[in-house]
Amino acid sequence: MSLISMEFLLFVLTAVTGYYLIPKKYQWIWLLVFSYIYYASAGVRLVFFLVYTTVTAYAAGRLMERVEEKQKKKRVLVGCLLLNFGMLSVLKYTDFVIDNLNKIFHMNLSFWTMILPLGISFYIFQAMGYILDVYWGRCKAERNLFRFALFVSFFPQILQGPIGRYHRLSEQLYEEHAFHLRQIQYGLQLMLWGFFKKLVLADRAAVLVNQVSANYMEYTGVTVLAAVLMYSVQLYMDFSGGMNVVEGVAELFGIELDRNFKRPYFAVSITDFWHRWHITLGTWMKDYVFYPVSLSKWMGRFGKWSKAVFGKKTGRLIPISLANVIVFLLVGVWHGAAWKYIVYGLYNGLLIAAGSLLAPVYQKEKKRFHISDGSKGWRLWQISRTFILVNISWYFDIAPDLAGAFQMMKNTLTDFRFSVLRDGSLLAMGLDRLDYIILFLGCTIVFIVSVLQERGVKIRETVGRKPMVLRWLLYGLLVFGTPMFGHVMTTAGGFIYAQF
Amino acid sequence: MEKLIEILEEIQPNADYKNCDRLIDDEILDSFAILSIIGEIEDEFGVSVTPAEIVPENFNSAEAIWKMIEKLKEVC
Repeated sequence: MSLISMEFLLFVLTAVTGYYLIPKKYQWIWLLVFSYIYYASAGVRLVFFLVYTTVTAYAAGRLMERVEEKQKKKRVLVGCLLLNFGMLSVLKYTDFVIDNLNKIFHMNLSFWTMILPLGISFYIFQAMGYILDVYWGRCKAERNLFRFALFVSFFPQILQGPIGRYHRLSEQLYEEHAFHLRQIQYGLQLMLWGFFKKLVLADRAAVLVNQVSANYMEYTGVTVLAAVLMYSVQLYMDFSGGMNVVEGVAELFGIELDRNFKRPYFAVSITDFWHRWHITLGTWMKDYVFYPVSLSKWMGRFGKWSKAVFGKKTGRLIPISLANVIVFLLVGVWHGAAWKYIVYGLYNGLLIAAGSLLAPVYQKEKKRFHISDGSKGWRLWQISRTFILVNISWYFDIAPDLAGAFQMMKNTLTDFRFSVLRDGSLLAMGLDRLDYIILFLGCTIVFIVSVLQERGVKIRETVGRKPMVLRWLLYGLLVFGTPMFGHVMTTAGGFIYAQF
Repeated sequence: MEKLIEILEEIQPNADYKNCDRLIDDEILDSFAILSIIGEIEDEFGVSVTPAEIVPENFNSAEAIWKMIEKLKEVC
């Protein structure tokens, strides 16, 4: 059931109506039932994988609390991690391994071609985060299997996150919620905003991106560049729009999910970008991979060696940078079983590591040229530089494979003519003049909203204080304008991140 | 405590470590800074910090970091 469908809206309406009509102590059970119905609607067989993760994580949590000995506890943890990440790896990467074996050793192994259960990367990460928290004593193991099942399966977030943390999400899921009209209003507003971003902007921008990526050998120069810039629009509006819908639906139940976006294109560095883009994946990787790897015994030994060789300051940063590259390699692999994603991860990891190692050099140069961190010009330069670096990484996303990504980069620099913008070529790729005007106006609206949010303005509260006529005019514009100007025909209901 | 403040100022200058109690919440210390601090703490005070200790409550202020060191010393 796509988030963008009448069925989904009716499903949510039914779930919310019942949620506030039944006795409050049963609300969490109601949510669990609806979560499983939602997941089963994608395929009843897929429920097996969800139950598998739920039961193994629940059992491991309970077992770890009963076991006193640290080594035994560790064995339970490792077992649970292997069972779940093992399953994820088999489902997600078997064909990738077979493909590479066939190519390297000229073998003829047949592919498994398994369908990846929807949202599996998201709910496994959420459940494994919980298990690690129990192991480290950050939270107590959940005693009720069904309550835990709701934490893993809560339907708004199961397909594309955000990846929730047990200590923040579980309490909200299990506590009783009274009906508050303002909460419903806020939830609906957020959903509407998400639909606008997805239908009017993301799906429209996708037309040009798909055309160029499917026929990348035919396009050069400005056309490829336009497609990459358009992908910036598509991916952000698609993912953040989807998140707005998900957050809005959760808010209808009185549940506040962790934020996944904080105006990423205003980032001043790649590190800052990852603090603003897909935040819950970044913090998951930081807490459960980056810190453990950095504090591991072997990394400690490497750190001592590195300090002895490179001196205290640089030597201290080298092992941290290495752990960071490992993390981003995993981020790349998480995105998909393809070399292009591995290079995408490495690219980001190496940029962050280089930025950190070269920080003293930057500081020195900034002092030499009297550049102040607070100056607007410097900030604008940092934002532009980061935006360009991020756009380079999108080549790996758009292209069908790694060779295609490099070819597209090369094509961008070939036959670079601005006349393409005037000769009508861009109008012969599925989007007409009106489409470009809608995209421009829509992006301008999102940009203004983002600037206001960056300055601390709370949009929904501000809109709420405006006269009723103005408010309803705005809601009316969004309600009627979104389907009217939305690129519904090409949507087919899919969100990019739901495939991960 | 003075030694700790010295370490913090060396790793991440321009912060009021004596009064600030939102070092993590206000993103004054990022993950690279936290790990650098841990590295120095381990060398200086002979304690061992595990991932379990890396929570905002332990790193939001110099005082919280100091308390964590004291606690870890007891374990050692």
